[in-house]
Amino acid sequence: MARFILRSLLSTAVTMFLVSLALFLLVEVGSGDITVKILGVFSTPEQRASYRAQLGLDQPWYLRYLDWLVGNDWRAERLVGHPLVTVRNPQSGELEWWAQVAGEQLRWDMEEGQIYELVRQEDGSAMRRPAPETIWREGPEGEAVFWGVDEQNRAAMWIQGKPGVAFILTKAGMRQETDAPHRYIPLRKGLLRGDPGMSLMTGRPVMATLPTRIRNTFVLAGLAFMVVMPLALLFGIVAGVNEGRPLDRTISITSLALTATPEFVTGVFLILILGIWLRVLPPTTVFLSDSDIWNLKLLVLPVLTLTAVELGYVVRMTRASMVEVMNSPYIRTAILKGMPFRRVVFRHAVRNALMAPITVIMLHVNWLVGGIVVVEVVFGFPGLGSYIYDAAIFGDFNAVEAAAMLMVTIAVGTRLVGDVIYTLLNPRIRYS
Amino acid sequence: MAVAQPTVDPARRRPSRLQRLWAGLALVFQSRVGTIGLAMVLFWVVVALISLVWTPYPPNASLFEQNLPPNGTNWLGTDHLGRDLLSRLMTGTQVILLKTRLPNGLVLPIGVAIWGVLGSLVLGTVLGLNAGYRGGWWDQTIMQVLDALIAFPRIVLYLVVIAALGQGDWVVILAITVTGAPGVARLVRSLALDIKTRDFIRAAETRGESPWYIMFVEILPNARGPLIVDAMLRVGYAIFAIGTLGFLGIGLPPPDPDWGSMVNDARRFIYANPLAVVWPSLAIASLVVGLNLFADGLREETTRYQK
Repeated sequence: MARFILRSLLSTAVTMFLVSLALFLLVEVGSGDITVKILGVFSTPEQRASYRAQLGLDQPWYLRYLDWLVGNDWRAERLVGHPLVTVRNPQSGELEWWAQVAGEQLRWDMEEGQIYELVRQEDGSAMRRPAPETIWREGPEGEAVFWGVDEQNRAAMWIQGKPGVAFILTKAGMRQETDAPHRYIPLRKGLLRGDPGMSLMTGRPVMATLPTRIRNTFVLAGLAFMVVMPLALLFGIVAGVNEGRPLDRTISITSLALTATPEFVTGVFLILILGIWLRVLPPTTVFLSDSDIWNLKLLVLPVLTLTAVELGYVVRMTRASMVEVMNSPYIRTAILKGMPFRRVVFRHAVRNALMAPITVIMLHVNWLVGGIVVVEVVFGFPGLGSYIYDAAIFGDFNAVEAAAMLMVTIAVGTRLVGDVIYTLLNPRIRYS
Repeated sequence: MAVAQPTVDPARRRPSRLQRLWAGLALVFQSRVGTIGLAMVLFWVVVALISLVWTPYPPNASLFEQNLPPNGTNWLGTDHLGRDLLSRLMTGTQVILLKTRLPNGLVLPIGVAIWGVLGSLVLGTVLGLNAGYRGGWWDQTIMQVLDALIAFPRIVLYLVVIAALGQGDWVVILAITVTGAPGVARLVRSLALDIKTRDFIRAAETRGESPWYIMFVEILPNARGPLIVDAMLRVGYAIFAIGTLGFLGIGLPPPDPDWGSMVNDARRFIYANPLAVVWPSLAIASLVVGLNLFADGLREETTRYQK
């Protein structure tokens, strides 16, 4: 069995690698020229080119894939020649990149052709002093170049006597700035080390928004799960035991109708009936503060919608499995030897019948994720689903990739767990 | 010396295709559930055909007041641009079932949902047959790639593909093809694994037939039963998906009506005209339920004697 689990682990790793590559390439093709979205359609080609370079988009895709996956600080460290560290700024609370040089944490800036060192102080501010002339190194084309860390968390290359020109995006629009570096590497730790980069939509790190969204979605999905499971198993078992009777027909048809109705239709109907005609529940989920996630009144409609969608599927699974078990010879034997029917069902049938649904539910998480995206969009629920939807519409590739990889990891992880549980529950696989 | 000749009895020819098709349909009528499903599907097909030649008003013209409730002139009311909802609801069947608009202005017969399912059937069958029949490295590689595809939550794949390629009928077809193919491939692979152990495959191999001949002429026709049932279910999923995409605003391009985007438009004016969300919602739900019932009936009847 250890071999089986090892094999599925290995296969999962390969799957995850393929998924990450496919996702990256798809988003790569898909995001088009993101600078047009950020800078507006009236931006000039020079402005766009400069902004692309500042985002690190001028590098070839395989380098960016590597950066995205495992980070690029190790690559930049070789260019800068000093270890690069992240330090939290006590004033803004955000992580900043600094170079560790001889006991001090430094960044650099160029003014009038002269490089200045910014020395980090304890309170997060920086002290400014001119850098020594010895920092310049010989570049590939004979000019004197210097690689350092700039104030926007990028490794940057300045050229002596040849200040660059860059267009900086400010709140008031584009500003042209001289004394700019010639090349940039936006520093990041990479997805595997927990840093998916900056969100282009908000201009803040993706990790600043994502955890809250994940928690909200987990609360939503968890509540739905707690409502669905007991109900679905109950209905499934009742229908399975009464196969072919009117009770079974009613349950089967209702669950079929529930599965075949798209999430948004169910959601809109619930809004219409409970939110608009009867006015008993708020028709949207607007969180005024972060603690509103525990305001159950807001959660009832999204949870109900998700329940309706999931319920039908699990009921059908459970029913099918129960019918199969009830028709098997060992149940017939148990009934024929005079065992009470209730005991046959609960002691002998249910245990075997629940094995299939439990594993199928694990495989089903993928489907649930799809439902969550739609439900969150319908109700305006601030969760992972509406996050990925907004990010995809905007073309915010860092956010889309982070959220999508997270969803894929959840889906693949639960499938792995489902496989293992199935192996543990099924003696035929366990002992082979 | 008399040699025994195989005799062909002219009265016992193979039944013609039409007869066999009729026999298949007759099977559906054995099941009450299947009949109801077929009726629901046929209702929408008929509506689609009628909408080709006649709708009460032009579906894209703003002829009336906005957000009217159902009344004598507009049986189902009007939408937020003053367009007749009944006409739009009827025309909405066309993009799903009857026609596909290509980017260069051409119109293909047969709707987006059906092309999408055909696409996933073709792709899935080719992959599944190769994986199942050839086995070994083919199987490993194909299944690994498909596992990666299955790992994507569908909706994420839709979002990314449509963000990548823009809106359009063919993009939706592509998205449905890509998301549907892994499921078809798995089914075909399991069927092929079973069928390839039979004697007639040995015979074909001994004759020296090529692998492609064996896969498509010997194996595929014997796997068609479960595939047809699966395809019916998939058309339902595809309509479901098109509705969801339309609702999210990334589906079939406007202005031609599409049920999903009709729900989305009506949802914004739900206080002014609450019934407008009901009609397209009911339409999607009934068509998908119909296809599911039909598929269920078909499966029940085809597997009844196999147990």
